[in-house]
Parts: sequence; C-alpha cells; structure tokens
Amino acid sequence: MLTRENILQFRGVTVRYGRLTALDSITLDIPCGESTAVLGGNGAGKSTLLRSILGWQPLAAGEIRVGDSHPHHARPRVAYVPQRHVVDWDFPITVRGVVEQGRYPSLGPFRRLSEADQELVNGALDELGIADLAARQIRMLSGGQQQRVFLARAVAQGGDIFLLDEPFAGLDLFGAEELVHILKNWEKQGRTVLAAVHDLALARACFTRGILLDTSLVASGPIAEVLSEANVDRAFRQGRCVHGAGHEGHHA
Amino acid sequence: MSLHDFIIVPFSYEFMRRGLVSAMFLGVSGGLLGCILVLRRMALMGDALSHSLLPGIAVAWLLFGTSTTALFFGGLVAGLLTAIGSALLSRLTRVKEDAAFGSLFVLFFGAGVALISKLPTRVNLADFLFGNVLGVSPSDMRLAMVVSIGTAAVFVLFHRSILLETFDPVFHRATGGKGGLVHMSFLTLTVLNLVAAMQTMGVVLALGLFLLPAVSAYLWCDRFRSMLLLSVGIALAGSVSGILLSFHAGLASGASIVLCLGAVFLGSVVLSPKYGAVTALRRGLAPRRHP
Repeated sequence: MLTRENILQFRGVTVRYGRLTALDSITLDIPCGESTAVLGGNGAGKSTLLRSILGWQPLAAGEIRVGDSHPHHARPRVAYVPQRHVVDWDFPITVRGVVEQGRYPSLGPFRRLSEADQELVNGALDELGIADLAARQIRMLSGGQQQRVFLARAVAQGGDIFLLDEPFAGLDLFGAEELVHILKNWEKQGRTVLAAVHDLALARACFTRGILLDTSLVASGPIAEVLSEANVDRAFRQGRCVHGAGHEGHHA
Repeated sequence: MSLHDFIIVPFSYEFMRRGLVSAMFLGVSGGLLGCILVLRRMALMGDALSHSLLPGIAVAWLLFGTSTTALFFGGLVAGLLTAIGSALLSRLTRVKEDAAFGSLFVLFFGAGVALISKLPTRVNLADFLFGNVLGVSPSDMRLAMVVSIGTAAVFVLFHRSILLETFDPVFHRATGGKGGLVHMSFLTLTVLNLVAAMQTMGVVLALGLFLLPAVSAYLWCDRFRSMLLLSVGIALAGSVSGILLSFHAGLASGASIVLCLGAVFLGSVVLSPKYGAVTALRRGLAPRRHP
C-alpha cells in the first residue's frame, strides 16, 4: 500500500517562546512512508518542529494536520523517541519494562497488559533484535542497544509515524551504522520517519527527504536538493552558526 | 529479658501503640515517596523541605495551641511557600533552584527555631526537631493513617503515570501525560507526609523514614515495582524496631527509627551483590558500563 499522500501538513506554523520566534510560518508537506531528516543549526527549530507535531507546543499561528486530524487526536499514531540522555539508565527497570511502556497510552491507567499487548511487545523486541536482552537492567547495554530499546518502545506503541529527536547523538560508528540499517528497513515497510539530525553527511546517506530550517523554512524536498551548497550556506553560515555545517555528530 | 518483655510489654502502653501505628502507616507512604525522591534526585530537596516546615508549625502552635489540624496546615503552608518560593526565585533571578531552595529553607528553619525557643509552652525544641513518641495523640495517629492511605491509593491508581514521569518525563508528555500535575501532586504528598510524620520523627529526621528505605531498596532491585515493595518492607521493619529501640534505650523515637533504617542502608551498601561496595571493589573498581 504505497500511497504517497501527505501524512503531515504544516500551514503557516509559527511557534514563539516569549519574544523569541522558534518557528516562523512554516508551510510544508511530508509524504507518507518516507524518511525525512530535519536539519539546521542549534536553535533552528528542529526539536520545536517535532514537538509541535505531538501537539504539546501551542502554535502562535498556523495549523498542523496529522493525516486528517488535529495532533491531539492523532497521538496513538505518532511515536516519539526522545534523546537517549534524557533518562537515567540506572533506573530500576528492565528492557522489557521500557518496551511495555509503549502500550501504556492505549491501556490507560488501569487495564493490565492483555495477551495481544504482550504479543506487540514481543514483536517489537524481536524486530529490534533485543529479545534476548529483555530481562536485563537497562544500564547493562551498549549505546546502540539502548537506542534500540527506545525504538522498540516506539514500535510497541503501534504507530506509523516516528519522530526521533537526535537519534544519532552519542552513538559510536557501529551504533550509527546499526541505526541507519534499521531506519532504511522501516522506510521499506512504509513507516514514516521524521528525525532531527545534526550530521549532514549522515542525513545524506540515510534519509530520502530533508527539511532545512533556520527558524523559517530554508528548503524541503529530496535530501540531495535540500542539501545543495547554496541552501546549506543560507541555513548555517548566516550569523549564528558559523561552524555548524561540518560533521559534528554531537548535540548542543 | 524475655522476648515477651522485649516485644510485647512495650505495647501494653497506649502511647506506644499509637506511636507504633503512626510509624508503620507513615513507613508505608514514606517508603513509596522515598523511591520517587531517590529516582528523581530530589533527596536533598526533600530534606530542605522538611526543615522548612518548622516556622509554620510554630506559628500554628502560637495561634491555635496543640490542635493537630492547625499544626498540619501550618506545616503545609510553610512547606508549600518554600517550594513555590524557590521555584519563583529561580525563574525571576539568576539564582539556580538548588541555591534558592537552600537559602529559603535555612531562613525558614532559623525563623522556626527562634519562634519555638520563645514559645510560652512546656514543649521543648528537641521534640519538634527529633520526634517524641510520647507526644503522638489519637488525632495525630488518625492524621498519619489518612495521609498514608491517601498516598498509597495515589500510588496504586496512578502507578503508570508515576513510573513514566519519573523514568522519562519527555515520553510521558509525548503520550499525553500531565507531567506538571504529577510533579505538583508529588510535592504536595511529600509535604503532607512530612507534616504527619513530625510528631514521631521530628522535622529534622522525618526524611530518614522516606529516604533510607528507598535508597536501600535501590541497591537491591532492578524493577520499579520490586523497589517500591522492598522499600515499604524496609520502612515497616525499621519503624517497628526503631520504636522498640526507643522504648528500651530511652531514645528519641525519630533518632532510633533512623538508626535502625541506617543499619539496613549501610548493610545494603556493603552487601548488595550487584551494586554494593564489596562487589565493586572485587571487580577492581572497574567502572560500570556507560553508554
């Protein structure tokens, strides 16, 4: 079922934090079933764009549609994968425990995990190749494995749109290669992926489309066109972010 | 001394039974809340919060005498003022939240000590600071029971929200969770429990009943639920043995409960097979694997 309809639509989306404008009248469409890198320097609005899709960022102007719905009503479809450093990896929880959290939004506060839920959790563990680590406390994992635990939680959620905040941050070369492989597979399966990415070379290698931000939209479309020299110059070399265009893998 | 003399006789006294019941109920809620304090790295903040209750309690005492309700609301107001005041201070000035909390709590604590030393009553400062099981009135005991049952109910009902907000607040929010609400309820529950624990534990030592069981359980458990249960278990055992110790050794009840819990904590630090100090030394101080 490879329709190419637009699964995410932005129309004049503006987000402000006090007097600071984080996103300035963004209008763009994101087609279903493709992987898109969200690019730009620090403070260009990458994370804000992802959060606005989750409906937790009040918009100063404009509108976002997820499929046909307002973001608030599309929540189960949209799976968010935070940066790895936001959680305490010493937390008393196992790999399986984290992946089960993916089912919580559909279960609400009281219902127990049904057999169908367990199947989804098992499926996600299998898909990400961490079924044999399920009983481990999460500190006892490599960086790449920890990233896969987060991805498995998103898969268990059962959504078809995946928002990844700096998924490559802090991964070593092997971990990054693994992640590229996983994301390419997801695209083949028709999943829509939107990821904030710092590293332009990685974005070229791994994503089909790109969105280049500098609080306003610089370019959007196939990744090679978006990352033309002129566009990159515009997004990165104007004022703020002089060194940003290079290959710095680490986050802000 | 026979076992009967040691364990049963103390509780033939009415005040001892009240002290025991209060301490055990507070052990349940304290053990639960302590886990969140430990996991969210709010242990020191909780300590500051408990100190800051003192002036509220003192003012309530001045105005309304020994009424449990008045003391309760006095402590509550002082605790919330500290929490909200430091949040405001850190947002309005360049002072960071830990410094704001630290400054406000010593200020409050100092004011509390000054007030109580001038109070025209027979009650001495030490009882406020370190607890006195003799002072647990029937209404204090009822307060402890209500607060404890309420806290436990919140944990049972909102188990998932609490877990998500503690482990990964960003994901919690992304899935429609109300993080701010969970946080505020948590702070309120903490203040309620601290106030309820004041008679038995004293404001300086109350946090021990929360923190020590949780941090001990943290050294043994790899699952959130088992950490909560073990923490409650340790808190219960510590309350019972602490109350007994206090009776037989003639110690302040808060101090003896903290001492019993402290023994469990030190034992866990040394002996925990996975996260204990002995294991770490045996591994040649090899650092844990970091991502």
